[in-house]
Amino acid sequence: MTGVTIGLSAGILLSMAVVLTYVLGWANKKFHVDVDPRVVSVMNALPGANCGGCGYVGCGEYAEAVVLEHETVTKCVVGGQSCSMAVALIMGVEVGETLPYRPIVHCGAHYDDRMGRHEYRGEKRCGAANLVTGVQACTYGCLGFGDCERACQFDAIHVIDGLATVDYQSCVGCGACAEVCPRNIITITPFKSDQVLAVACSNKDKGKDVMAVCKVGCIGCGACARISDVFKIEDNLSTINYDAYTQECTLDVMKACEKCPRKRLVFVGIPSREDQEKARDLEAPDIVEPDFKTTVDDTEWRG
Amino acid sequence: MDYLVDIFLIAVGAALINNFVLYYFVGICPFIGVSRRVDMALGMGGAVTFVISIASFLSWTLTTLVLMPGAPVTRWVAGFFMPADIAAAVDLTILTYIVYIFVIASSVQFVEMYVRKFYPLLYKSFGVFLPLITTNCAILFACLIIMSHVVGVDNPAEAWGLGKSLVLGFFGGVGFTIAIVIMAGIREDLDLCDIPEAFKGAAITLIIGGILAMAFMGFTGVDSGLRAALGGAP
Repeated sequence: MTGVTIGLSAGILLSMAVVLTYVLGWANKKFHVDVDPRVVSVMNALPGANCGGCGYVGCGEYAEAVVLEHETVTKCVVGGQSCSMAVALIMGVEVGETLPYRPIVHCGAHYDDRMGRHEYRGEKRCGAANLVTGVQACTYGCLGFGDCERACQFDAIHVIDGLATVDYQSCVGCGACAEVCPRNIITITPFKSDQVLAVACSNKDKGKDVMAVCKVGCIGCGACARISDVFKIEDNLSTINYDAYTQECTLDVMKACEKCPRKRLVFVGIPSREDQEKARDLEAPDIVEPDFKTTVDDTEWRG
Repeated sequence: MDYLVDIFLIAVGAALINNFVLYYFVGICPFIGVSRRVDMALGMGGAVTFVISIASFLSWTLTTLVLMPGAPVTRWVAGFFMPADIAAAVDLTILTYIVYIFVIASSVQFVEMYVRKFYPLLYKSFGVFLPLITTNCAILFACLIIMSHVVGVDNPAEAWGLGKSLVLGFFGGVGFTIAIVIMAGIREDLDLCDIPEAFKGAAITLIIGGILAMAFMGFTGVDSGLRAALGGAP
């Protein structure tokens, strides 16, 4: 009796194994899907950060789009030029000129410059603070609760004195900060040089209203637009046409910077060598090394 | 009429009263892992419902035909080696766990290949979840409930048929979907909250799961009231 039970158990499992193996093997052949080998090699050429900067869900989706839908090969912002070259080599296409895309924060007001700022006791998130009125008088400007800081995977944007500030040396331009900002004041912009000009304000109100809420906001006076064609006043706000903006128009642009009564035209980007030299002597907080004598609890654990 | 009442009560019981996740605490890993966004949670719920239905069909069939004492296939095979009355008593229920896991894993594998070939869009939306849930405990749990209602039932007339098993499997999956979607909705709002450092991530999710389970405790005992109201046998 016992012997038969054991024999039957073994027999049933064995026959199930044979049957299922046969069925799965047949299905594997019958339902075989051909995967383009180029998808795999494009996938390997991509950095694998899965940041979503290209507009696809992850590197895998982008690799598929490049091979199957002939998407342009220059969309990977993390890999940059070298990555585009590698992908182009696999796909057998030419790479055009690629510009690095970096975020620009269109607000320039620190805590001291903002008017009508009130104590806010809700969740310390921009997304939550943006739902209520009265946190600060300017309804366009940076709230300073650091949603962008939390969204950044590269530690490249920080809230400094109430204003989101990009660290262009660590930034790869994935666009996570621009996506998460509830006030949409961060734009992803092509950088034709290390530093580009930017309008550090997003306030679309009339000049008088801007003066009432901010000490530094753009009042839409149009002084810059009269000097250079690069600037245009849209909705009471100076905007820069980055297609027309080149190194050659620097002279005009510098004049406009000086003319701007609110000093809202600023250069952003990686600091030049002279600026770094100048800043070297300035006082900066030292990087504090953690002291393991005080931070590590070495008392024995008795569970 | 009684059969319909039974079916209805099994459905309500599996989906709400004895919810797999919030009453029995099975299938917790996808419940915590894939409940970050509502659309992902819906995809996961759909995949689980699909697989659990297939698994309950297979487990009922195998239990009745092969594993339970006196099952026709086993009796026929054993009949070659021993007298018919002893052959009828051969009991292979010890094999249930291993056979269920074996069959679930293979059928999910098969379904995955099939869907990948013929429904690429469907594959894209829940293809990633399918391998995750091959060994999900909620699915094995549904099989075991079905087994407990087929094997060793005192009155043979009360043993579950295929219909009841399928209803249990499908509505168990629906209950899982309900639980995970509620959870995902809460977790989406949780993103706006300032959670203490120690509670971030899985910790706060487990606490919320516990509170949800307490809320679902409110359904306890509804089934006997429903049965009385519908006029079924107690």
